[in-house]
Amino acid sequence: MSDLTLTTLDRDGALLEPLAGLHGSTRAEFLSKAALGGATLLAAFAAPPDADAQSAKRDVAILNFALALEYLQDAFYSEVERLGGFSGELGRQARVVGAHERAHVEALRKVLGGRAISRGRYDFRGATEKPEAFTRTAVAFEDLAVAAYKGQAPYISDSGLLVAALGIHTVEARHAAWIRRLAGSSPAPNAFDEPRTGKSVLTLVARTNFTMKTGSRRSPRFTG
Amino acid sequence: MAKLGTKPGSNRKGRLVSDHGQEVRNSLSRADVLTTAMLAGAGVAAGGALLGGLADGAASQPSRKQDLEILNFALLLEELQSAFYADALQRGSLTGELRQFAEQVGAQEEEHADLVRQAPGDDVRELPAFDFGDATGDAKTFGRTARDLEDLGVAAYNTQAPNLTKDALGAAARIVSVEARHAAWIRDLLGENPAPFASEPRASAEEVTRALNRTGFLG
Repeated sequence: MSDLTLTTLDRDGALLEPLAGLHGSTRAEFLSKAALGGATLLAAFAAPPDADAQSAKRDVAILNFALALEYLQDAFYSEVERLGGFSGELGRQARVVGAHERAHVEALRKVLGGRAISRGRYDFRGATEKPEAFTRTAVAFEDLAVAAYKGQAPYISDSGLLVAALGIHTVEARHAAWIRRLAGSSPAPNAFDEPRTGKSVLTLVARTNFTMKTGSRRSPRFTG
Repeated sequence: MAKLGTKPGSNRKGRLVSDHGQEVRNSLSRADVLTTAMLAGAGVAAGGALLGGLADGAASQPSRKQDLEILNFALLLEELQSAFYADALQRGSLTGELRQFAEQVGAQEEEHADLVRQAPGDDVRELPAFDFGDATGDAKTFGRTARDLEDLGVAAYNTQAPNLTKDALGAAARIVSVEARHAAWIRDLLGENPAPFASEPRASAEEVTRALNRTGFLG
């Protein structure tokens, strides 16, 4: 496995900074720990069940991880709508799916209460403006969300939270199939959907450069 | 309820808040249209035997024994779906993308059944001979039935998943999202909203059994 640290994974800091708070450390302390130890945050996704307190803490980390993905998707689709949307079926897909992602954000924030991470800032670099770029990005986001929820589900301890996460998981799969068909790809390309680890999800999200560095002076034309 | 051939867009309003109970009721009442066969005493008995001691809700403690009950239930659904697509393709009533859907999805259901069958091992229950009647005879009825079976499959897996041990849950999760993709695909082909709710509706084992029995497919 490559020796990626969270700082390289999460170049923007948007995912990492709010999560540092969950581990009871300042951002600087958390970053140095992350750089030294590799995956302090990600350990929370993979640790074997231990005490109840640890399970509850891990559930919170997982839900916040999900919330970060939902924030990203919410921002993406909501920005499409704010820019006037696309015509026809693509516009309808963006509206319906955007409403779902906003509902997911709302639901996760409600469950997390004061422990919810805050919303990041995003720059979609044209992907909310051009139908082709939008479609490609939406396929990637939806397939990624399916794999991300699937990867975390077995680590959720609380059965109520597991039920909620699974209920979102398959809706993301419906979104994925829908946009794939619009993209001219097979809606269900494989007999089995494979999970992704938290680390690999964060790597992919970071590679998009859609999330902006906290304190970045860059001013996107539009921001989610 | 949107019918096949309904103008696209007429049933595509997104739902922010899902009323699980209502969605389940909708999906179950849709199952009513599949066939005129009424819930017969014999049907209930057959379904009851197939479902064995299946637990409901999320309250029961996962165990290897319970996994087997749930996986036998999943196997019934996968075999039923697989046989349904094979029957439709054999009858030759499908063309174009609907045919492509049946071929691709049918092959995937077979792979699901193969995976699920491995787990129960010697405890696999004998499955009934399926009888699809007119449901595979024409494209319209096939499309609606496929939608109902896929939606029902997703709801059934999601509802049972919390009762599984973590290993079995991991396997079921690899399947359930593919079922959701199938459901979205066929809904889109029917001109319906592929993702009609923000949170997937659930269906208890009892509700799934009742819906399956109403179809008359279980013989």
